[in-house]
Amino acid sequence: MKLSEIAQVIRSKNAGPRRLTLDIMFASDDDYRRVAQSPAITAAEIGRLYRVPADQVTIIPYPVGRAIKITLARSIMAGDPGDYDVYGAQQHAPLLEIEL
Amino acid sequence: MSASGRIIAELRRNPRPIRLMGTTGQLGYGIPAEHFRTGIARKPDLIGADMGSIDIGPTYLGKGEMATAPAATRRDLRRMLLAARELDVPMVIGSAGSAGAAPHLEGTLAMMRDIARTDGLKFRMAVIRSDIPRATLHQALAAGRIAGFDGMPDLTDADIDTAAHIVGQMGMGPFRKALEADVDVIIAGRACDTAIYASLPALLGYPVGLSMHAAKIIECASLCCVPGGRDPIIAELDHQGFVLESMNPERRATPTSVAAHSLYEQSDPLMMREPDGSLDLSRAQYIAVDDLRTRVSGGIWTDTTQPTIKLEGALKIGERAVLLCGSADPRFIQEIKALLPNVSNLVDSLVCEDQPKDYTLRFRVYGIDGVRMVPPAQEALPGEIFIMGECIAPTAERASEVVRTCKQFLLHFGYPGRLTTAGNVAFPFTPPEVSLGPAFRFNVYHLLQVDDAEALFPMEIENVG
Repeated sequence: MKLSEIAQVIRSKNAGPRRLTLDIMFASDDDYRRVAQSPAITAAEIGRLYRVPADQVTIIPYPVGRAIKITLARSIMAGDPGDYDVYGAQQHAPLLEIEL
Repeated sequence: MSASGRIIAELRRNPRPIRLMGTTGQLGYGIPAEHFRTGIARKPDLIGADMGSIDIGPTYLGKGEMATAPAATRRDLRRMLLAARELDVPMVIGSAGSAGAAPHLEGTLAMMRDIARTDGLKFRMAVIRSDIPRATLHQALAAGRIAGFDGMPDLTDADIDTAAHIVGQMGMGPFRKALEADVDVIIAGRACDTAIYASLPALLGYPVGLSMHAAKIIECASLCCVPGGRDPIIAELDHQGFVLESMNPERRATPTSVAAHSLYEQSDPLMMREPDGSLDLSRAQYIAVDDLRTRVSGGIWTDTTQPTIKLEGALKIGERAVLLCGSADPRFIQEIKALLPNVSNLVDSLVCEDQPKDYTLRFRVYGIDGVRMVPPAQEALPGEIFIMGECIAPTAERASEVVRTCKQFLLHFGYPGRLTTAGNVAFPFTPPEVSLGPAFRFNVYHLLQVDDAEALFPMEIENVG
């Protein structure tokens, strides 16, 4: 099953101009637990998808919000020449196809 | 006595829960009138709004311009001011004019004075500035008190001298000072959005952790609800917790939706760092009061031992012009990524015939790689693409020359197998080249260690009207 078939929200945004933060949110505690325990959601795997070193990826499970937060370094600072997405609101796409 | 003095005296004399209204997460885009009136009918003790953010990018800070339209901004300010004066409660605005530097603050103050004049209002206004003097920054840099934030390269003296504007993000101290100065309105430059709302309850002795947590949520108005939205929200805060309620009854503040809001634009939902300290939410509790309201408790505050102020500065890097066009030709779309560097070289050879290359020219091909920082290696080609060529050059004339030349040679560029010899691209309108004015980048995004955070943010009192 793909992450986009089980998650209720998959979103990205800047957390300051040098970081991206990705939130994956779920409709039920069961869905949350299933994904939180999946080996597909690791710093190494997210780093590979976003082409950043695993040590620049932080994954924070947040059960009270039925969510998983991923924070990583932006490859280009927001608003620098050549940036694609000043707010960082469309950088979630690599997560959609994750196979659980 | 003015509004802040009245509220402080009243709540000290008769302790009760305090009602804080988050009017909008970003002033200047419209405040829904009906739900605003609902909020005012609840008699909030403070009406606040955040006006800015760093998320909008470096150009507003650099140019000294607001991101919001003047007419819409004035309308929102007026709606808040009329209500605040009617209730005689403080109106508190942070990050004035989108980026909080001197021109943004002045633009906001001019609107406030104009509203006072046309509506016949009289009020006492605290103005808090957030521009950090360059001399202060040079001294701090020499003393080793400035560090890059989130991997930002070390600051240099040249960065300090060349930035168009440098602001610091103030915490609660300057707001507290303004509230204690007995004022009706506070207009602050660049500020932490939490300080807008947390400063009044914190000075009245409500627990800072709860005040900060409530502030963190209501600064985004009703975004913490399902469905999330822009309508005003009220937090009613006591000494054990706070209750959240959207002023639009279609927006429900549920335990899960409120808890999940801690994720929004934050790198860590359990620990939030502010200039004055840090907020630990690892033991926060969210309990439904009813279908529409949630009660929150458990946020724990720790004062910092070393105040730090986040600095933001923007440097002008040139003038920007863009070229806008599209294509529906499969062969051109197949070739586009290989062909664009050749178009760039051709443009280069023409516009640099008698002068060195002094510009950058970039393309984003929407449909292929215009949006994603990491596009997939293999993907089916789309039926249509949109191409944006972007030039940054020392002058507007030079940037325009580059994109105009580029337009003509992209239109007629030859490649093997080309069928469309009358033109490779479609223009949605002409001219398809647009001059966008000066371009900036953030060259300051650093943390400044300070001994006295309040001293960095001077306050003036103005009697308006």
